[in-house]
Amino acid sequence: MEAVITVENLTKSFGATQAVRGVSFSVRKGEIFGIIGPNGAGKTTTLEMIEGILKPDDGTIDVLGLVPSKQLNALNRRIGVQFQSTSIQKKMKVKEALNLFSSFYKQETQVESLIELLGLEEKLNVVFEDLSGGWKQRVTLALATLHQPEILFLDEPSMGLDPHARREMWTLIRTLRELGSTIVLTTHYMEEAEKLCDRVAMIYSGEIRALGTPSHLLNEHIAHCITFQSDHLNKEDLLSFPGVLKIEQNDADFRIFSDDQQLTAYHVFQYCHDKSIQLFNFSFERGSLDDLFVHYLEEEQIG
Amino acid sequence: MTTIVKLAQMETRMFFRDRLSVFWTFLFPVVMIWLFGSMFAGNEVSDTAFAQMFVPAWIGVNIVTTSFFTLGTVLASYRETGVLRRYQSTPLQPWKILAAHTFQGTVIFSISAILLMVFGMLMYDLTIPEYWGSTLIALLVSIIAFFPFALFLTSLAKNTQAAAAISSLFLNLMIFLSGATFPLDMMPQVLQYVAKILPLYYVIEMLRGTWSEAPITEYGLDVGILLGIGIISVFLASRFFRWSGK
Repeated sequence: MEAVITVENLTKSFGATQAVRGVSFSVRKGEIFGIIGPNGAGKTTTLEMIEGILKPDDGTIDVLGLVPSKQLNALNRRIGVQFQSTSIQKKMKVKEALNLFSSFYKQETQVESLIELLGLEEKLNVVFEDLSGGWKQRVTLALATLHQPEILFLDEPSMGLDPHARREMWTLIRTLRELGSTIVLTTHYMEEAEKLCDRVAMIYSGEIRALGTPSHLLNEHIAHCITFQSDHLNKEDLLSFPGVLKIEQNDADFRIFSDDQQLTAYHVFQYCHDKSIQLFNFSFERGSLDDLFVHYLEEEQIG
Repeated sequence: MTTIVKLAQMETRMFFRDRLSVFWTFLFPVVMIWLFGSMFAGNEVSDTAFAQMFVPAWIGVNIVTTSFFTLGTVLASYRETGVLRRYQSTPLQPWKILAAHTFQGTVIFSISAILLMVFGMLMYDLTIPEYWGSTLIALLVSIIAFFPFALFLTSLAKNTQAAAAISSLFLNLMIFLSGATFPLDMMPQVLQYVAKILPLYYVIEMLRGTWSEAPITEYGLDVGILLGIGIISVFLASRFFRWSGK
């Protein structure tokens, strides 16, 4: 697959803080690429360097064959950017905003089809400040996609949206991809990364810790667990069982992270059978990116 | 070019949607002139003499209002809320944004100046400027000095509130100390010197002068000082201009 973005060894500091340290990855044409990590991990800084707004201290960036910090104007004709929680003029009506932003581009813009796709028809005469969070996001998404950008950058596209609006946003993002844009987004909602992204890069303290498809990340790393409830077990006894990596206990609820679920489960059953301890709601669980997220975060604190 | 006109047109529309800015820019000066008129006009001085004092002065004040509030504070709020940042990732060139805002500021100011003049003519028998060409040049010079001056000062502000505070401070200082409201010779010697530090003093001197006494050629010093302020401000404003708050 053809790469539309190639980033090598990207580094950026703000004063004494190193926001991004040696990040390398590439984004393929037509994929939805997620950059995930906790707040302050360096996601936005990385994105803004790729968009050409920030100049990297070190490293190289290639976006559609252009160097962003040097060929910003050429790049801006071909990419679309939705910034994190930025606004447009408070008193501007939706249709005025669409009209104004269309005039910035020389090429044909797709105002009409976007209005239909995003369902903006009923809001065209509403001023921006009167829109709810979800509608504001839709409008700024429309402004970023007017010119059918080859790459669309979305910084926390579903921040502050309710679960319903968030799902609608995902559907829209998928549709935009089908219409031909490559999408790069940042998020700290793991569910979003899992359900929406083709590939994700996990960033912690300015470094990439894991890169791959969501299911690949989950298979490769400790993310599988078995869960059950029991009143007469204690954590310490279970820790010595084969395969066990980590145990989370919350009263009677147990989550055992294991690199061999079946083996660990076998020993748990044998132990409980011998001691006549009852187990309830036993299940194998495929961990979520959330677990992986917490795992890295804990590793960070220990390290 | 069409982009600049479109942007300026849109900003002008935004301006009229904000009732407060309409009040302060268009109505407040008219009310002030009317208030002072009811105190002075017809008693100690003739209506015409009063209007020749106050209308040019308040047109000058409106250059300050427009440059600090319509331009400076609005751009500070655009910087804070990310409006300017959003432009940064479109093909719109930065100078076009500034050009559009300057154009819009000039339009708003012109409307307010005409409004004040017509009000003066209807209420106090104000005459049209004797050296009207000179008055237009004086206005142009004043705009060249004040727009970048205000843009620079408000761009030092961290957020919209700070920008509004800076703007209010300068506006109030200049309204009271540069001879717009109270004749300077009523004031103590010290304040008369202070007045000469404030750029509005020169604007008012030029506007009053070209309105009734002499052409612009007699005001070389004022023009020079204002153009100097303009050149220094353009340099500082472009040096320190930021597109986002961070």
